[in-house]
Amino acid sequence: MAVAERKTDIGPPDFHQFLAPIIKKNYGKWAYHEIPEPGVMVHVAESGDKLYTVRAGTPRLLSIVTIRAFADLADTYCDGYLRWTSRHNVEFLLTKKENIEPLKADLHKMGFPVGGTGNSISSIVHTQGWVHCHSSATDASGVVKSIMDELYPHFVNMDLPAKLRIAFACCLNMCGAVHCSDISVLGLHRKPPRIDHENLPKLCEIPTLVSSCPTGAIRPATWEGDPSVEVDESQCMFCGNCYTVCPAMQINNAETDGISIWVGGKVSNARHTPMFSKLVIPFIPNNPPRWPEVVEAVVNIVNVYAKHARKHERVGEWIERIGWPQFFKLTGIPFTKYHIDDFKHAGETYMRTTQLRH
Amino acid sequence: MSEKKRATPLLDELKKGPWPSFVREIEKSAETNAMARDTLGQVERSYEDKISHWKHGGLVGVMGYGGGIIGRYSDLPEEYPEVAAFHTYRVNQPSGWFYTSDILRTLCDIWERHGSGLTNMHGSTGDIIFLGSKTEELEPCFRDLTEHGFDLGGSGSDVRTPSACVGPARCEWACYDTLDACNDITHTYQDELHRPAFPYKFKFKFSGCPNDCVASIARSDMSVIGVWKDNIQIDQEKVREYAANGTDIEHEVCQMCPTQCMAWDGTKLTIDNANCVKCMHCINVMPKALRPGKERGATILIGAKAPIIGGALLATVFVPFLEMKPPYDDIKELAEAIWDFWGEYGKNRERVGEFIQRVGLGNFLEEIGLDPIPEMVAHPRTNPYIFFEDELEEEEDA
Amino acid sequence: MGQPTVDEVANAMFDLVKATHGKKNLKAMDLTKAMIEKFGADAVDKKLCKLAIRQLIDSGRCIYSYFGGSFITLPPENEGGG
Ligand code: SF4
Ligand code: SF4
Ligand code: SF4
Ligand code: SF4
Repeated sequence: MAVAERKTDIGPPDFHQFLAPIIKKNYGKWAYHEIPEPGVMVHVAESGDKLYTVRAGTPRLLSIVTIRAFADLADTYCDGYLRWTSRHNVEFLLTKKENIEPLKADLHKMGFPVGGTGNSISSIVHTQGWVHCHSSATDASGVVKSIMDELYPHFVNMDLPAKLRIAFACCLNMCGAVHCSDISVLGLHRKPPRIDHENLPKLCEIPTLVSSCPTGAIRPATWEGDPSVEVDESQCMFCGNCYTVCPAMQINNAETDGISIWVGGKVSNARHTPMFSKLVIPFIPNNPPRWPEVVEAVVNIVNVYAKHARKHERVGEWIERIGWPQFFKLTGIPFTKYHIDDFKHAGETYMRTTQLRH
Repeated sequence: MSEKKRATPLLDELKKGPWPSFVREIEKSAETNAMARDTLGQVERSYEDKISHWKHGGLVGVMGYGGGIIGRYSDLPEEYPEVAAFHTYRVNQPSGWFYTSDILRTLCDIWERHGSGLTNMHGSTGDIIFLGSKTEELEPCFRDLTEHGFDLGGSGSDVRTPSACVGPARCEWACYDTLDACNDITHTYQDELHRPAFPYKFKFKFSGCPNDCVASIARSDMSVIGVWKDNIQIDQEKVREYAANGTDIEHEVCQMCPTQCMAWDGTKLTIDNANCVKCMHCINVMPKALRPGKERGATILIGAKAPIIGGALLATVFVPFLEMKPPYDDIKELAEAIWDFWGEYGKNRERVGEFIQRVGLGNFLEEIGLDPIPEMVAHPRTNPYIFFEDELEEEEDA
Repeated sequence: MGQPTVDEVANAMFDLVKATHGKKNLKAMDLTKAMIEKFGADAVDKKLCKLAIRQLIDSGRCIYSYFGGSFITLPPENEGGG
């Protein structure tokens, strides 16, 4: 093996080589920006130079066929300079204002919507789901696609009180910031793993399996004389770590897996400090291919928020102003015992004042 | 390659509607790539069965690295042989996700040679994700990547691929060079990124201002958020322009300021800067009129994480203000002090934030050599159970 | 006993991984702590152990694994077939 020429630890390529000349020239010297229309931003430098950004939504999962097509568009309209945002949007970085319209037209023809700026709903940050993860309680891309088909007008317009950020994760591991989003859609397992005792000793190392459980719910046991494990079901929180370690601990369950919905989180420090999202719908069964109940629930929350929140108010700020009882009333979502925290420090979330709205 | 395309009636439903369809993306690659074709088949099968058909594999990687590859296998390998092994690469993105058309084509060509032709732009941590490689292609693809200037990102119990907001490349609010800091830290810690030696993952995220566009306060073990110390720069003329153009400065700006430190008399905006908490709201509303101050740096916060295992945490203030100049020795020193202590005493899968809760923030600070300051807490303790030093030592011995 | 070489520490680590294989998974820090105990804190430190782990992995005698956390383990047998 020609090990000698094998390179390691070179790290990512230096970003400077991918910056457009106008960016290099005005690096750190931008004066202000405006959003002349949804999906288009103009950043004005102290030098007076203007950089136009055209932002388009993508499904995150992209074929190299599409990436090459984006590269071609960038060559045609902006000397080959483009970037992605943290929310899976692609951005073309233009110096010629007259190229904005033809670029938008081409993106439209290719089926990629221009928008996601200002007080809009940007692309949903999401995870792998059935396309690529083993422990997903639901698909990710299909739910996201179904929701965004309905919320599309809010992507291509800027008609909400403030920006609204939606995130999706398909299990409790929550790849992605779903614990701090305006609306979070989260896949849940609700049953402990089913143990395939017959195959377990062949497939898995028992000590590794035992130590994989974050709550210590798994213990070594014998099953019909053979070594296996048992699960203390009262300690299981359905995280699926055991399944990651051992395929004989099937956590996925077609009948009982599904989706929960959380609202009112944010990460920005503007006005209110960052907040976690809070549970509003504990469970909706999986209903592929288009999850109509989940879509309806999300659209309802967006509509009620759009109607009642004040300008600049994020979902969590709005709810804090009107109070949770009012939120449940306005949205018509039933409140249940599952909404009440019973984990560590749960008491901090109980209401301990007479300051109520009657 | 002559195999006929399977019918996918359920996935076909997801080609309808205005939002771009991931199914169409998989189909685009499936026209020339058998792995993508079997992906379609297996995903359709998941839609029928309402269950994932992937299995995790913990033993694949490229030689010498413990991170960067996620092992994945189909649990229906006979039916979908092309995706029997379908591993993921995390390819470390350039800072700020900036590309040229040429470098994108280079990446596409590499991925056409070695895998399914399917990607995520980008994964949740920020990497370029190549979805779906056979085991025997891992090493050749890695070589191809490094020959073209790319390397793998992190996975497992190591430094995860750092990420940064667009920063000074395009944003007027960037209070330090997020892109350079991200690039510098990533290159400094290549060993920590590729050879897992920690109790669990450690994430860096760099945001240029308190708007925190990369969610660092919610998602990173070390969160670096740009901020200024001095006065907000005001252009009164432009403030009046906003007022004339319909911005209700009293209601939309002054009354929404979290500390009520602004006043507007119809012609002049005044800010009591000593009471401004640098939240960005007023600047966000009037970007032409207001700008962050000139004395700029960053706040360093530690210990955010998602819920697994001990519950979700937002990051805690460690250093209220730090100048951010290369070579960023101060944050490197802080990170290394944390790794030293947490690395030795943290449990498997225990994030720094959880570790701090277990040992107590006060003790943690003492170990890493930082003085406690009131900025680190929302308020002082309300319970009287104070472990004074002597008792503490006994506790430790017990 | 003088200071052990990187190779000696790597060999001792390898023996430990072999001895615990199938019983306990070891992380890089577990190996480091075990070596400091074995050779003494004067003779080996974290840096030397880091080099030894790199030697252990680069030589192919051990690999990194991921099972809800990264570990150092023996390579799977007959990997060629899989
Ligand atoms: S959220 Fe869970 S199921 Fe979804 S990709 Fe992440 S680990 Fe996999
Ligand atoms: S699902 Fe999680 S909590 Fe339940 S047994 Fe498995 S590892 Fe333990
Ligand atoms: S975090 Fe602040 S500096 Fe960075 S892109 Fe967002 S608004 Fe701009
Ligand atoms: S930045 Fe925030 S706290 Fe400071 S003056 Fe503006 S609105 Fe008030």
